[in-house]
Amino acid sequence: MNSSLLLSITTFAYLFCALAYFSGAIFRNRTALLMGTIVGWITFSVQTVALLLRWWESYQLGYGHAPLSNLYESLVFAAWAIMVVYLILEQRSKQRSLGLFPALFAFLAMAYASFSTSIDSRIQPLVPALKSNWLIAHVIACFIGYAAFAVACGVSVIYLCKRAGGTSSSTDSKGVLSRFPDLRQLDELNYQMIMFGFLWLSIGIITGAVWANSAWGTYWSWDPKETWSLITWIVYAAMLHARTMHGWRGKRVAWLSLAGFACVLFTYFGVNYLARGLHSYANM
Amino acid sequence: MDSKSGIWHSLYNQLASIKLTVILFIVIAVSSLIGTLIPQGLNQEHLIEAYGPKLGNLIHFLHFGDLYHAPWFTILLVSLCVNLVVCTLHRLPKTVKIVRFRDQKVDPRKLSQFSRHRRTESSLPREDLIAKVETILARHFAPIRRLEAQGAYAGIAERGGWSRFTVYAVHFSVLLILIGALAGSLFGFKGMMNVAEGETASVVSIPGTPRTISLPFEVRCDEFEVSFYETGAPMEYRSDLSILKDGNVVLQQPIYVNDPLTYDGVTLYQASYGSMLVSGEVEFTDRETGQTTRLSMLHRVPVALPGTPYQVAIMDYKEKLGELGPALAIALFQEGHDPIGSWILARMPGFHGNRIRGYQVKVIDFQQAQYTGLQVKKDPGVWVVWGGFVLLTLSVGITFYTSHRKIWVWVADGNPRRKIQIAAKTNKNSLAFDREFDHLWERLQAELRGEQGKQGPSTS
Repeated sequence: MNSSLLLSITTFAYLFCALAYFSGAIFRNRTALLMGTIVGWITFSVQTVALLLRWWESYQLGYGHAPLSNLYESLVFAAWAIMVVYLILEQRSKQRSLGLFPALFAFLAMAYASFSTSIDSRIQPLVPALKSNWLIAHVIACFIGYAAFAVACGVSVIYLCKRAGGTSSSTDSKGVLSRFPDLRQLDELNYQMIMFGFLWLSIGIITGAVWANSAWGTYWSWDPKETWSLITWIVYAAMLHARTMHGWRGKRVAWLSLAGFACVLFTYFGVNYLARGLHSYANM
Repeated sequence: MDSKSGIWHSLYNQLASIKLTVILFIVIAVSSLIGTLIPQGLNQEHLIEAYGPKLGNLIHFLHFGDLYHAPWFTILLVSLCVNLVVCTLHRLPKTVKIVRFRDQKVDPRKLSQFSRHRRTESSLPREDLIAKVETILARHFAPIRRLEAQGAYAGIAERGGWSRFTVYAVHFSVLLILIGALAGSLFGFKGMMNVAEGETASVVSIPGTPRTISLPFEVRCDEFEVSFYETGAPMEYRSDLSILKDGNVVLQQPIYVNDPLTYDGVTLYQASYGSMLVSGEVEFTDRETGQTTRLSMLHRVPVALPGTPYQVAIMDYKEKLGELGPALAIALFQEGHDPIGSWILARMPGFHGNRIRGYQVKVIDFQQAQYTGLQVKKDPGVWVVWGGFVLLTLSVGITFYTSHRKIWVWVADGNPRRKIQIAAKTNKNSLAFDREFDHLWERLQAELRGEQGKQGPSTS
């Protein structure tokens, strides 16, 4: 039993989980939704064990570092973070029908990590600049933030579909989208997730700055990744202002949530194709 | 005079508008984006080389090649600060008014239009009923303050009014971060210093400028060491440094990549390493007379070439000049003339380019030393920035998870039962408050029902 095997199982289990949530929501089937939740929790637990195992394995190799150091490990952690944020939201809101997108995103992250030929899944030693406890804090905070934005993006997509489907006017419970929460709840959940994500993105940027200051002697150097994380932060800050100061609700907020998540994806993947900066090890 | 105050008034209104904030957000975000698409830190020639003369000159003119340090980008950031301050001054009195506002009366018909609104009836005596409602709210929400109600009973309970102020703490923290960054760039410096093993240095060069700074102390590198993993990847860089003041060692400490040293407000970071030349033994042969002179030279210290008007010096060193191995840049100086020089290949004495003017030059031997590359920084604003970071984290967290909530209660005498209405409002987090309100309502109903049960059969 090693971490790679467990992570392969995790990849396929998340696909199964996404399918269960999908069929449960579309066919208005409570059992399928419950299955999604159960598979989600089990897979999440297996993945947690896999992450801990990989951590332990890195000590066996003599490197000894948390599994948060390269693109492969960050993708695996992204899937883990999305699921933990979603499953807690599900517990608190008692809404099972929102699981499709989080489970799908988790599967896509795992699949990309596992099947892309350009991503090295081996445990590698840490270069000196990455040897810092701030690294752990920075990566965890950023990915919890990204995960919340991913969940918010999923909620926004459902909101826009439901809005386009016109179920807001018809009160009957026969529609395909009727399993989902009503528009006001979706809007509010989107907002809650974005506030949560914004808090963690702020902490992520701050811990990154403190780390950069101890490693390179500068807390902000306008490196492309830093700059894009700031752009993402500004987009969500603008959304929060539009909502509280201008009373924006619903559709416009949902679109801004999608725009924000596009920025998140670009910060995470797109920047690697721009000029190389301090975060160039993220390509490895 | 009116028009003058009118201009100031409209300028103030512009600066206090959230529209300006949004525009500044967009402009700053788009400019930052441009800065990530154009390589930063290239000079005009490099820009022209990369983009052609037209576009290259335009990029240079707009400062897009060093965008984040361009005056107009600084102006944008300063404008954001001003906007933030003016917005705060403009809105703070309004917030104070909202928080201080005390509802005096209540209209039961309006209450019934609130989205959070419940009603029930009870046959309890009026005083008992009011006492119960007041106890439940005081215990689980906030104490009730009575309102005018023309014979009926009305009251309001509110919580979290202070939470309307936390957003100002968020804005203040952003201001602190920008002020700290400004202080750092005005009163601090950032530079590089190479110190060879066993050597002492105190002069820091500022990259991109001809400027140097002399530290008020000296830095000696006692030892530099790189360790490697089995894979060949570097594991750790370590420099053992000594700080000397007036020739005496005042501090000895090793530094690592994530573990710098601070002395007298100046911080030394492990940034790079390499080999540098200490001295070389070089042979000069006059190609006409065949006369050969062998000289020992220290790096960058000119030495007279005997019997000639020339002085020679080793000016630079490369561990690898392309594929040609190590090379020394040797220069020939003559008073009143420009110096001339050439790269002399140390391992290829027969190379045809190993000559300067009439001399065949041969490197007999050279000594190198490892040096450690230190990033040297003084930033008096960093603590202000850290303070801003801590305040930002705390205030964003508190702002998102607190809200200003109000609950109204209305009890009217009716026949045969008294009518009870309760309604509530919040400025944020409405889903969480929905749950809180439902719980409160359930408690209240249970309390009313429970007492009725004990009192025996009630009117049906």
